[in-house]
Amino acid sequence: MSAPLLSPEARDAMAAEYVLGTLEAREAALVAAALPHDGALAEAVAGWEARLAPLVALALPEAPPPGLWDRIERALAPAPDPAPPKGSAAAPPKGWWNRLLDPWRAGAIGATAVAAGLAALLVLRPAPEPRLMTVLLTDRDQPAWLVEADRAGIRLASLNTRPAPSDRALQLWALPQGATAPTSLGLIPADGRVTVSPTTIRPSPGMLIEITLEPPGGSPTGRPTGPIQFIGRLSAATGA
Amino acid sequence: MDAATDLAPLLTAVAGGDRMALRAVYERQSVRLFGVANAILRDRDAAADALQDAFVKIARRADQFDPGRGSPEAWLAGIVRYAALDLARARGREMPTDDPALGDQPVAADALDRVAAHAEGRRLRECLSTLEERNRRGIVLAFVHGMSHAQIAAQLELPLGTVKAWIRRGLLRLRECLA
Repeated sequence: MSAPLLSPEARDAMAAEYVLGTLEAREAALVAAALPHDGALAEAVAGWEARLAPLVALALPEAPPPGLWDRIERALAPAPDPAPPKGSAAAPPKGWWNRLLDPWRAGAIGATAVAAGLAALLVLRPAPEPRLMTVLLTDRDQPAWLVEADRAGIRLASLNTRPAPSDRALQLWALPQGATAPTSLGLIPADGRVTVSPTTIRPSPGMLIEITLEPPGGSPTGRPTGPIQFIGRLSAATGA
Repeated sequence: MDAATDLAPLLTAVAGGDRMALRAVYERQSVRLFGVANAILRDRDAAADALQDAFVKIARRADQFDPGRGSPEAWLAGIVRYAALDLARARGREMPTDDPALGDQPVAADALDRVAAHAEGRRLRECLSTLEERNRRGIVLAFVHGMSHAQIAAQLELPLGTVKAWIRRGLLRLRECLA
């Protein structure tokens, strides 16, 4: 399956610069997200990987810091229970909603970069069924997470996120339009891949998706307690 | 048995969830792969983060390694490169690099000889040598050192548009030459 609006030459040029590493963050994230679904693009990328691979020999070998293997092993440890942490009935901290409406954050939610990114994604990746998507941005407007939702649930893919500090956890939340309190969708494992079943929450256009920094094991109150790290609003990716 | 011949079965074991096999891959490859990440990030802490991220991905994706499409070394290095590039982008790669010496020199002949150490690198070395020096240097700065168009332009003191065009032309020439 190939993208209908991309000529073979343009696709090959994009694949070449993806492999070379010169695409900007958003372009690279879009290519990476399209690869599993666009066979022609994947073929072009594999071709360039094979052509350029011998160049890695130019990097001089260097011993990694001691203890790195232990860190890797900890990162691979079974992820904490993805079920939403049990919370007390405590009221949500004041100001949580206000922080969402902070103009700076609001700017990030509505950034034209997101709209442009989604448009480009549609060019690369024809959608067979209606789906909801958003790109969660960092505070530097770098794409950090790709969120996709449809009847099968909500899926998150990490784009270029640095792992959470070892003494904190990243927790995923959803806030449907009109709701007053967010629902926990669980903790985000070290590999950044999350799938939430549709029984936990029904994705809908306009739903806010956000990630907060919480204590290990997740928020003790069942509501976000830590700073918002990433946020975005689901919108229909079909344009219909 | 050398590293090249025993990595593939190790990856098969990793795909089956064998943590000791992953550790064996780490022990054989981490010095080379850390060098790949550090060439891109030029920061040992960041390179360690990238290598950690890469090994988590290696553990999860080992079943996707296809020996028909390339060597285990190339597959591992690819994952490490993409992890390091993602981190370099997240750290704001559009700034000029802090290492003024990088890219000052033509790509050294002995460095190109390292590219040709394996059979698949021999043709690439020949094709690279047909490129103009500036095209070759741009491609190496991007691929090996993870530099953006803007960084390469600043490093080589050339207009951004010129650098983009040279790199594109260089890649096209490489493709023709390797076809």
